[in-house]
Amino acid sequence: MKKLLELLKDGNSRTPEELARELETTRDDVLRQMDFLEHAGVIRKVPFMNESNGCSTCASCSGCEGGCAAECKGCVPQNAKMNMGTMWEVV
Amino acid sequence: MSTATIALLGQPNSGKSTLFNALTGLKQHVGNWPGKTVEKKEGSFARNGVTYDVADLPGSYSMSANSDEEVITRDFITSGKADVVCILADSSQLERSLFMLADYAGIDAPCFLVLNMEDVAKDQGKTVDVALLEKKLGIPVMMFSATDTKAYDQFYFTLERALKEKSHINVSELEKEYEKIIGYNEIKEQIKGGNISGYTPMWLTVKYLENDKVVSAKLKESLPADAASKIESIGLDANGAIATGECKFKWIDELLEGAVNKTKTGVKLGKLDRIYTHRFWGKPAVVLTVILGLLGSFIPALPIMAVASIFDVLKNVIGDALVSVGCPAFVTGLVCDVVIQSFSYIVKMLGFVFGVTLVFGMLEEVGVMARISYVFDNTMGKLGLQGKSVMPFLVSFGCTMGGAAGARVIDNWGQKVLTIALAWAVPCGAAWAIIPMLSTVFFGAGAPLIIVVLLLVMILHMWITAKIFGRTLVKTEDRCGMIMELPPYHKPKWGALFRYVFGRTKDTFFRVVKVVLIVCLIFYILSYGSGVNDTSILYKVGTAIEPVTKIFGLPWQLFIAFVASSVGKEGAVGVISALYAGGSYGEGFMAAMSGAARAANLNELLLANVSRPEALAFIFAITFNLPCVVALAATYQEIHSVKWTAKIAIYYTVGALILACLAYHVGLMIW
Repeated sequence: MKKLLELLKDGNSRTPEELARELETTRDDVLRQMDFLEHAGVIRKVPFMNESNGCSTCASCSGCEGGCAAECKGCVPQNAKMNMGTMWEVV
Repeated sequence: MSTATIALLGQPNSGKSTLFNALTGLKQHVGNWPGKTVEKKEGSFARNGVTYDVADLPGSYSMSANSDEEVITRDFITSGKADVVCILADSSQLERSLFMLADYAGIDAPCFLVLNMEDVAKDQGKTVDVALLEKKLGIPVMMFSATDTKAYDQFYFTLERALKEKSHINVSELEKEYEKIIGYNEIKEQIKGGNISGYTPMWLTVKYLENDKVVSAKLKESLPADAASKIESIGLDANGAIATGECKFKWIDELLEGAVNKTKTGVKLGKLDRIYTHRFWGKPAVVLTVILGLLGSFIPALPIMAVASIFDVLKNVIGDALVSVGCPAFVTGLVCDVVIQSFSYIVKMLGFVFGVTLVFGMLEEVGVMARISYVFDNTMGKLGLQGKSVMPFLVSFGCTMGGAAGARVIDNWGQKVLTIALAWAVPCGAAWAIIPMLSTVFFGAGAPLIIVVLLLVMILHMWITAKIFGRTLVKTEDRCGMIMELPPYHKPKWGALFRYVFGRTKDTFFRVVKVVLIVCLIFYILSYGSGVNDTSILYKVGTAIEPVTKIFGLPWQLFIAFVASSVGKEGAVGVISALYAGGSYGEGFMAAMSGAARAANLNELLLANVSRPEALAFIFAITFNLPCVVALAATYQEIHSVKWTAKIAIYYTVGALILACLAYHVGLMIW
């Protein structure tokens, strides 16, 4: 895991597959390392806009008046599932 | 009748709840753990004359003290309340899920291991040598499938066995790993003296190395003063948890070595991913995808464009009718030029909103957008930005406000400001509605080419902007790489996609109608010169500033439309609609207005009055103008700096005019 963190220091982003290749291990191993690092608070998932309640994230719909269901125009609709994968950043 | 207490321990999704429900049936009650908001589930069942109380411990990743769940779990087990702990692991991913077992090893409570989800593992072609695992671990181990009712006899049997044997995990191999960590032996030596029940010295030492606050405090309390100060003097590695974590993983690997047989499933990249993640071909492939996507969005847009021409016909028919009944020219103009003409434009714009949202919504659903952002991530790095900036950019294609708000995920202030500054260059939904529409009016089949050029200029714009602002805002050293897990490709869910696209189009429709009608009305009135065109104030002001605006290639009408587009890009259409169709432009137009020659529609009028280079200049000017006032406000709200908000706004206004000027002169060379 130290090696994994060391690799990320160069500023490039990688997929778990690439990390596995560079660390000469398996994808499963990388995933469990990520799991561990996430729980240890070393890395964290980057929240997507529609994941963080959709409400507070948009400047145009201040607060939760009318409930969070009232989504703001222009923002990602709440129920739209963004198939964007997941990003983790080093804390 | 004797009783025994079992505690169910496992990571979330290990199938713990299924097991708990199957064991206890209706005999369960749910409450809260004292003083915590964590749910407490208990139940019971009887078997062979023994009553078993079952405690479903909260799902947690490990036995560390990172969360309430974990602390509750740990305290419950070490308090000795459980006669046996049933540790659950997901047999389809043992490397990952056995971490709980590895972290448990060293706690002084009898346990057995249940490898759940046998069926999933089987499907993956994995077989587990349970006997070998039992031998290595020294505790009962069983394969299990919590959803299979027939598997429970085996479960009860193993449970009874574990209770009888009071089995503990054999930790000798694990401890060998720990011993390699600097300071382990010294700390353990001191801890041995203390007496904390429920834990072995090894476990306490490891948690101390991991900087576990609860354990550290406990040790301080229970150890003799000299031992406590001695261990404190041993310098702690800030990354102690990582070092011990690596030991645990290594132990798991050794444990599984020879015990798990899997038909080798090396991760193979799909054909498409091999291209997208290719070091060299990735970028061209992504750019091509985006361009094809944009061109593709013209296809669903065109039929809607055709529908809009109905309005042109309608306008003529109603106009003729109004004139024939002797309606005042002002009212005729209002109905035809403000209302009907605006709707004609709005419907055309919606065609593109629909097309672009549909195509890019689909690309996102399918999983291609994630690849696009991945490929551009390293380019972000060169601009001094985080990979996270990709998201605000993507959101900005819909709405710059959303993009500015989305930049909130970026912690570094400088990077946040730069991200928002660059997100402004991304044409928003309103721009995507107007630009293709205007391009089609002026350039017909050449419109897609204009869009592609705009997109390339956008990239160049962002690059230059990053160079200009980047120097003072970010340092490239600030950037740390990210891990991006690409989603699997899947077929779009058409229902949800169309609901999203229609919703978006509907929202745009209402917003645009309001803005366009109001702006159009205002400018129609301002420019309505009681029949004599050059008496209107707007005309006087317009012609007065025209020498200046011409430098940028913009006739005064278009310049005013440009100014209006700072309020909202839709506004530009309202202005054009009013100024060109309204009663104050040119002799030929007045003639057209007077009734007989009404056939001339706005498109033709525009073409007759605006040259192609001027049109090109205008398209560039509004595309790269500041997005809208609301986006300006949103930007200020996010970056809390009047100075930088103003800087960015001025930069964009000036930049848009410079680009317009360039486009105009390039246009002059072409046409």
